Amino acid sequence: MWQSYIIQPMTNLLLWIYDILGHGPHTFGFAIILFTILIKLLTWPLNASQVKGAQAMQELQSDKEWQDIQKKYAKDKEKLAQEQMRIYKDRGINPFASCLPTLIQFPIIIGLYQSITRALSVTPFSMLELARTIYPFQNVANIIPLNSKFLWMDLGRPESIQILGFALPTLAIIVALTTYIQSKLTMPASTNPNDQSAQMTKMMSIYMPLMLGWFALNFASGIAVYFIISNVLGVVQYAATGRANWSNLLPGGGKKISSAKKK
Amino acid sequence: MNLKTKRLLLIFLLAFGAIILSACSSAGISTNWPGLAADADRAYMSSGAFVYAVDLKNGQEVWRYPAASNSKQVFYASPVLTDDGQLLIGSAGSNHLFVSLNPETGRENWSEAFMGAKGAWLASPLVLNNTIYAPNTDGFLYILDLKGKQAADPIELGGALWSKPSTDGTSLYITSLDHHFHVLDLLNGSLKDPINIGGAAPGSPVVGKDGVYVGSFASTIEFIQLNGAHKVIATADNWIWGTPALDGDTLYYADLGGTIYSLDLATGNQNWDAVQPDGPVVASLLVADDQLYAATEAGTLVALDRDGKTVWEKTVGGKIYTTPVVSGDLMLVAPYQAEFALAAFDAAGKQAWTFTPEK
Repeated sequence: MWQSYIIQPMTNLLLWIYDILGHGPHTFGFAIILFTILIKLLTWPLNASQVKGAQAMQELQSDKEWQDIQKKYAKDKEKLAQEQMRIYKDRGINPFASCLPTLIQFPIIIGLYQSITRALSVTPFSMLELARTIYPFQNVANIIPLNSKFLWMDLGRPESIQILGFALPTLAIIVALTTYIQSKLTMPASTNPNDQSAQMTKMMSIYMPLMLGWFALNFASGIAVYFIISNVLGVVQYAATGRANWSNLLPGGGKKISSAKKK
Repeated sequence: MNLKTKRLLLIFLLAFGAIILSACSSAGISTNWPGLAADADRAYMSSGAFVYAVDLKNGQEVWRYPAASNSKQVFYASPVLTDDGQLLIGSAGSNHLFVSLNPETGRENWSEAFMGAKGAWLASPLVLNNTIYAPNTDGFLYILDLKGKQAADPIELGGALWSKPSTDGTSLYITSLDHHFHVLDLLNGSLKDPINIGGAAPGSPVVGKDGVYVGSFASTIEFIQLNGAHKVIATADNWIWGTPALDGDTLYYADLGGTIYSLDLATGNQNWDAVQPDGPVVASLLVADDQLYAATEAGTLVALDRDGKTVWEKTVGGKIYTTPVVSGDLMLVAPYQAEFALAAFDAAGKQAWTFTPEK
């Protein structure tokens, strides 16, 4: 199932884009970039609902009724959960809406990673797997093996640049940085010190850059290209809604807003 | 969902993603089918962390190299025996080691992470006139003497090299995955202009009377004459992976669709209609004792006569991608992902023994 519904379509799509782009040097990198844009377009409604859901959850934290039930049922977790669900229902809020795009990301990341390594097939066995993955209507004998070079990178291997004898993992740093920027920009200012949603977002803004940076450091650099483009597009999408919190990028920016609002 | 639950979910997702990605990492060459060679007394099988020597009389392990596994070296190329008593093999692991072993003892004669090879050794080297020609997946052909020292500058051919070079004694013929066929003049060391054969060629060229035959992913058999002229002389329904087999005026070849072809080189006609065993054929075909042997991905070894009729067939098990090897009266087969690593059959297809390495 994973093979048929994730790996096979992704690999064929990558090969198709690669073929259309002319299958020359650097083409596979552009194929991954176009693939990422396509995925972003397909998941645009989901991301939009994430933004909406996060905003709704954020506003709920400042709601009087919400705060009242937190105090009233502080010692009765079961009742508190029931009341929270009632409020979610009354106001048409899906508490999982903000998690869905994150969950969707995982099969895409894992599938893309497997598709990249399969498409680049560096061993006879993986080449054989690739041969079986290709749809019958695709005539790709003339483009295989794919050229894995993109700029200074080999997209099938982890990336680093030698500087004074030290291997600097440029892409991993850019991945961590863009992930951090994206999470900071999308982090709404909070007025409530007990705001669980804000705490969660803050936690994500620390864990995610580290984790994705680690992925980029250790795995095929093609996946790092996906992360970077995906992050940049995520920022663009969020900025387009007019909600990007640019001040969060400045040291102490978020706190200033919080304290200003408190006054 | 409270904060604690969300935190746990997040950590779980990240850990799950890391595990899944780690499990399918291809930082090194993690897996491939085994390589196989034999002399009169022993079979030599490269399979992952070890190269094994197996006694042909009883299928018992004689030695293994190295004594303990090393995460930086794995072996998948078919080992090569030299006239001066060496067993040569390169590592497909991250250390790019190229090793000469004593076939009697399995001890190292020499080992070289030589000349800066950046890729895996998946192809067997060719030994000719006391010189080792070793193709690497980094696209270079490395040339060294029988003591492992560089005999000439490496020659850059371009695409990854997966197949053993062929020779007629005066030239070296090499295929590369970047759709090219290369000719190295052994007399003056010059490399002729590469010839585009339209598809990747993981198999070796076959040297004939007037030229060379090459099968490729373009699903064609290309005939390349010594003057460089070339043309497609036959086609297949699917990718051609293994090296064709030349038997007089007949060229046998097979494809990934599972069809075996018999081409009459004199007339250009096919000798038979579709002969299809039970699965794709990746391993090279083998002609021995008036029979054509084909091994399929379905794990079957088939012996055919010259008319394409099945003489016998044997279900070996696993998937057979490694070309069978003949030694004396035995046919050796190294299946992949099977209950055993190596099996020996006699000319009638009766199983003599199997070998499974002890952990």
